[in-house]
Amino acid sequence: MEVGITHYLVVSAILLVLGVFGIFLNRKNVIVILMSIELILLAVNLNFVAFSAALNDLAGQIMAMFVLTVAAAEAAIGLAIVVVYFRNRGSIQVEDVTLMKG
Amino acid sequence: MALQAIAFYLMAAVTLGSGLAVVSARNPVHSVLFLIAAFFSAAGLFVLLGAEFLAMLLVVVYVGAVAVLFLFVVMMLDVDFAELRGGFQRYLPVGLTVGALLLIELLLVLGGWKLAPEAAVLKLSSTPGNVSNTAAIGRLLYTDYIFLFQAAGLILLVAMIGAIVLTLRDRKTSRHQVIRVQNERAVADTLLMVDAGLGAGIKTLGIYRPLVETPPQGRDPVAATELGERRS
Amino acid sequence: MNWTTAIPEIFLSVAGLAILVFGVLRGRYSGPGNALVCSMLVLASFAVAAILIIGGNHGIGYNGQFTTDAFSSYAKLLILAGAALGLVLSLDYNRLEGLARFEFPVLVLLSTVGMMVMVSASSMMTLYLGLELQSLSLYVLAAFARDTLRSSEAGLKFFVLGALASGLLLYGISLVYGFSGTMDFNVLARSFADPAGVAPGLIVGVVFIVAGLAFKISAVPFHMWTPDVYEGAPTPVTGFFSTAPKVAAICLIVRLMGTPFGHLLASWQQLIVLVSIASMVLGSLAAIGQTNIKRLMAYSSIGHMGYALIGLAVGTAEGVRGVLIYMVTYVFMNAGTFACLIAMRRRGIALDKISDLSGLGRTDPMLAGWMTVFMFSMAGIPPMSGFFGKLYVFLAAVQAGMWTLAVIGVLTSVIGAYYYLRIIKVMYFDEGGEAFDRRPMSLSVVAAAAGLFTLFFFVFPAPFVGAAQAAARVLFG
Repeated sequence: MEVGITHYLVVSAILLVLGVFGIFLNRKNVIVILMSIELILLAVNLNFVAFSAALNDLAGQIMAMFVLTVAAAEAAIGLAIVVVYFRNRGSIQVEDVTLMKG
Repeated sequence: MALQAIAFYLMAAVTLGSGLAVVSARNPVHSVLFLIAAFFSAAGLFVLLGAEFLAMLLVVVYVGAVAVLFLFVVMMLDVDFAELRGGFQRYLPVGLTVGALLLIELLLVLGGWKLAPEAAVLKLSSTPGNVSNTAAIGRLLYTDYIFLFQAAGLILLVAMIGAIVLTLRDRKTSRHQVIRVQNERAVADTLLMVDAGLGAGIKTLGIYRPLVETPPQGRDPVAATELGERRS
Repeated sequence: MNWTTAIPEIFLSVAGLAILVFGVLRGRYSGPGNALVCSMLVLASFAVAAILIIGGNHGIGYNGQFTTDAFSSYAKLLILAGAALGLVLSLDYNRLEGLARFEFPVLVLLSTVGMMVMVSASSMMTLYLGLELQSLSLYVLAAFARDTLRSSEAGLKFFVLGALASGLLLYGISLVYGFSGTMDFNVLARSFADPAGVAPGLIVGVVFIVAGLAFKISAVPFHMWTPDVYEGAPTPVTGFFSTAPKVAAICLIVRLMGTPFGHLLASWQQLIVLVSIASMVLGSLAAIGQTNIKRLMAYSSIGHMGYALIGLAVGTAEGVRGVLIYMVTYVFMNAGTFACLIAMRRRGIALDKISDLSGLGRTDPMLAGWMTVFMFSMAGIPPMSGFFGKLYVFLAAVQAGMWTLAVIGVLTSVIGAYYYLRIIKVMYFDEGGEAFDRRPMSLSVVAAAAGLFTLFFFVFPAPFVGAAQAAARVLFG
């Protein structure tokens, strides 16, 4: 069976859904939520690279590179905030928030 | 062609399998390791698509930096992860439904993908045929996309400032090197020469060592008996 | 390549780097003085950037990725004004709370650069990078009071939901790119010229993008983070969040809907109408039961975004003119309100309950007077500026025959007036507590400047209306 562009798009769509799914299931564990966000960004990158190959256009790959850069920056800031939160609270549970409620 | 198909299915399966494991593993350390596996196999998919440079970047940036950062934080924070898994079962049905709906919708949309008729005219930077992927990206990145390249640099700067501002702490107890003080030091300030006579202990010279404190006399009997029992 | 179009941004970035180096060399621990000097330098570079924007040339630069036109200049000047007001508000608060560190003004400056890039974006790539430059700085600012649980929790919530929103936005961008073959706004507009031939994938992509951006302006149904983040973040940061970034995000949405998706008006109009109505209704109803004034301001800002979106939903030049005028009045009355809120301190403790305001009419008539002006303006009572902001968007809706939108807007304004007037009642008619601490100069200056603007906007609306008109013409000609 010939591997076409649609195959890559399907892999990317499943990855995206896995990421969203992970955020739904692990609402309490911030670190796993951050990893799920990384999965979503990976799905996006796969989309960009696949489209770039199909369209024979490098702009998609360059965009994927910027997404990688931003994802690394986001991970750094996210983990810094998690560390600060942990220092104040002694846990990384986001759900048992009693100080503020919506 | 068959080889390519086998490679695709293998790597796609590993990517998706590890992706699932990332969100469902019991131990976050395992999650991070599966994340690394997912990124490695996704890099393989990138190579199949002809994006070698991005594949290498994915391995270097993600496996080398991001995943290690995650691992570092997971291990640094002393968290009881079992406790954090509460609600996993509770959210499972809702999560599955939402996920399935989203997936079906996306598959329907993506299945209809075809090359847009104007795409050949509209494209911004067509892939040159005669140079390698890395060289082609380099040519574009520092010319057409220089503005965005610099903006990405600013984003990394913000990440640096942010991480330092939030987590760097100057403890009162931590000791810093002050080079000026170190250089201005003379022997006379720090070294004391004493002429110690024969048989004279340091006590007689006026130098006291911090001694082990002698226990106070009137102790409670229970502790005393316990101590005695342990001795015997 | 016409690189001169980005001179204000380049200047601000270089100034930011210089101020960062200056701050580091003067020493991290040289006390609040260092932060003060750096803040002043940042304010000075904002002023220079504003001059560069006014004197700058219009055009498209960097291979179509960056556009400056009347619309972007208008938005950028407003963003600079909002950021400058926010920074002035933080000066004394940060000193009193022990947060006076020179990184604060530098982060404000970098996020401002991000916002300016956002409103000038004419490619999805520029849009994304500008948005992230802004958002990442804002995440750090929300958690800036790192030793308090509330601030770090606000930062964490803001970050997690913001990163998720960016992820969805990006997925939408990737779909738009894949189905059309380009990321350039002007080229995209051409490929959408025939609405019949638009692939369903493109529409799904647009929906993802709108969802991601709706998060950034905290429109319903992506508003959940707003009350928590507004309450938890340090008060001047909350004030900053509710002014400049809102202007940037709403101007970005307007440009996106006007230029690349302009031909898809029929597809996105219903979406924006729904989001607008939901935001107005939720903003006015949910605010009623609040006891914390920062949470109240959060719901108030959700409602205001709903009103501003009316102008966009109309989809005409008049509507966009209404949005732009609305944002001017919103920025000033909001900055003024936050100046009053930051002044709420007793014996060195910052207060944020509505009941803490009781008796203010007697203990500090000046502050209570300004607060009254801002509350009247928020409620949309003439002759305050807030009335004119609402007037222009409702007028545009009526002209376009969208009566439902205008009627719902008026109804929710009336409900909203209830809780704004309740604050005035608390200040003047409730049994009072003791007086607040003496408020610093900077707060009085901001409150007076914003108050005078809000009070006398009706005398000189012409230049603003004219500029907004010219800016709106660029997108919806």
